Amino acid sequence: MKKMKKIMAGSTAAALVLGLAACGGAPAEDTDSGAAEGELSGKVTVWTASLAGEPFDSYFADIEAEFETMHPDVDIVIEDIPQGEMEQKVLTSLTSNDVPDVVNLNPHFMSNIAAQGGLLDLTGKLSEGTETMYVEGPFEAGKYDEGLYALPWYLTTTVSWYNGANFEAAGVSELPTTPMDLYETAKKVTDATGKPAYYPVINDGNAIMEKMVTLAGGDDIVTDGVASFADNAAILEYFEVAQKMYAEGIIPQEAAEGSIKTGQELYMAGNTSLIEGGVTFLGPVESGAPEIYNASKAGQPIAAADAPVNVAVMNFAVPSKTDNEAAAIAFTEFITNDVNQLEFAKVAGTVLPSTTAALEDSYFTEPGDSPKALGMKQAAEALDRAEVLIPPTENSAELRDATKTIFVKTLQGAMTPQDALTELEAQWNAAFEKTGETVSF
Amino acid sequence: MKSHKKTLLVRKIFLYAIMVAITLVTVGPFLMTIFMSLKSASEGIYDSVLPMAPTFQNFIDAFAKANFGSYFMNTVIVTALAVPLNLLFCSLAAYPLARMDFRGRGAVLAIIIATMMVPFQLYMAPLFQLTGELGLRNTHIGLIVLQVSTAFGIFLMRQAYLRIPKELEESAYIDGANQFQVWYKVVLPLVKPTLVTLAIFTFMGTWGDYLWPLLNSESSSMYTLSIGMASLAQNFDGANLKLISAASIITTIPTLLIFIGLQKFFISGATDGAVKG
Repeated sequence: MKKMKKIMAGSTAAALVLGLAACGGAPAEDTDSGAAEGELSGKVTVWTASLAGEPFDSYFADIEAEFETMHPDVDIVIEDIPQGEMEQKVLTSLTSNDVPDVVNLNPHFMSNIAAQGGLLDLTGKLSEGTETMYVEGPFEAGKYDEGLYALPWYLTTTVSWYNGANFEAAGVSELPTTPMDLYETAKKVTDATGKPAYYPVINDGNAIMEKMVTLAGGDDIVTDGVASFADNAAILEYFEVAQKMYAEGIIPQEAAEGSIKTGQELYMAGNTSLIEGGVTFLGPVESGAPEIYNASKAGQPIAAADAPVNVAVMNFAVPSKTDNEAAAIAFTEFITNDVNQLEFAKVAGTVLPSTTAALEDSYFTEPGDSPKALGMKQAAEALDRAEVLIPPTENSAELRDATKTIFVKTLQGAMTPQDALTELEAQWNAAFEKTGETVSF
Repeated sequence: MKSHKKTLLVRKIFLYAIMVAITLVTVGPFLMTIFMSLKSASEGIYDSVLPMAPTFQNFIDAFAKANFGSYFMNTVIVTALAVPLNLLFCSLAAYPLARMDFRGRGAVLAIIIATMMVPFQLYMAPLFQLTGELGLRNTHIGLIVLQVSTAFGIFLMRQAYLRIPKELEESAYIDGANQFQVWYKVVLPLVKPTLVTLAIFTFMGTWGDYLWPLLNSESSSMYTLSIGMASLAQNFDGANLKLISAASIITTIPTLLIFIGLQKFFISGATDGAVKG
């Protein structure tokens, strides 16, 4: 038995060493870069995230054809990867020489891959004027540790979605802007419909973290790696109101699970009336609950009119092992330019472009009156005060986990709101101390 | 007498009630998925349990718009390759481990079993490099490298071989059969239930494999059903639950049919590993 154990331990260790050794490897040589010849050439493989099927296939076919017409020696190949596995696929590809040249990432994946040296620092490598055409917040989301690793592509900001018919039945015509307003509004709608009106999205804790930064109204809740929000009146009020609403049945019990998917299902079934989410929230509602979709209306997020709101950014980055750097950068600039971003936003119908010129198009200022168009209008308006509220940090999983656990306990009445914030602050500080990060947000 | 009959009746009703409840819990979600997949575009998924105007449009859309035809074909091809190859290599590799005396037999077996304990994430990167160097990237064979000759399969077959009386093989040797003939003509027919079990396990593993086919594919033309399902579920514009339900049914039905068809072999074969070590 002892012998068997030894052999098994030995073979496991050997497999470990083999696996780790294989993660190294020399970077690919810049064999095909068009930069050396002055004219772009070679193959550029582009990975997009969860954009398969129509209308995107046609959009990307046009983009590909146009770029290849501009640069006849370049061959663009666009492939779509399920978003959830994008980071793993990019990281795995970086262990070999089969690396894509341009990848579509969110800032979290981007910073993680950049931290491992997997992305090309674009600082000083972009064409003149490129850096100034993007909205500032989303452009900043492409930076990591003093370097620029991605250019912003499309954006989504949070808006409030509500069931217009239920609000009308309750005699409510305005959306709340403070936690107390939220309580009063949600109570009226609950009384009128007999169903819990408000669903607070928690997700993995990130939505509550963003909510806390929004409620702080522009003041940092973490300064140089030290959290300080236990005495913030607005955050405390939100925790108090959330607990009260849960106890009174104004928030559904399912909210303790907290995912936007659960909230979406409740909203589609007509079992809740008010929820915050991106414009893409309405996609499944449109296909799964057409009547609810038609009754849906959009408004600004539940916060003061000047409070910062979160913007979710999707961007394009160039892996450091690309063997066609010049063409990859040129294509990244091309697909994120004004014209192509505007066209993409029109094709997608639920996202905003990240260039200032594209945002001035009438498509966003006068979008029509369909529920999706109303959402787009609200999202575009929210963009003025939108930024990436929580920067990527090493301890982000710990922060999110602590936030979710403590917020759910508060909802369920297991902790007083004041104790909850004190405990949360302590746990955040412990997490920052552990990693030694000195971020502010 | 009467009260005894009454007790039996009550017990029967109770047992049937439990069985119906368990059936509903296990089959219920599957039925809900079928009902959802049959709902039309104008019908809400939560409006009623049964579809008001049943339609196959979601199934048509899965093939026409979500490219499930190509995903289905790829999955059929890789499964058709993986099942016979795994049966062949596992049954061949397991035989010497069960019947032949050679130095290091125990160590070889231990090493093979140890590989079952190494998480895929650990050898994913070297495997990715290796398949690239062997020219298997973006090929059907490349997608099934994990399913061809599995450690589990070798172990399962070895256990099955151990149950066969040695005398049967010895009498075949006396009759003049060579080692290969003994394996092929005497031993292999006797482990048919285990072969069927291994075939089912390999089928299910290959049919539903997701991460490796995704990593090893450079083009969506090589995607399998599970990648297609993930693409639908993670769709940019949110998940269309009716379409996803239809796609799930398309994905599940072959596994279900095979499992039902080979059920009796599966049950007898799956217990093989438990009786002799």
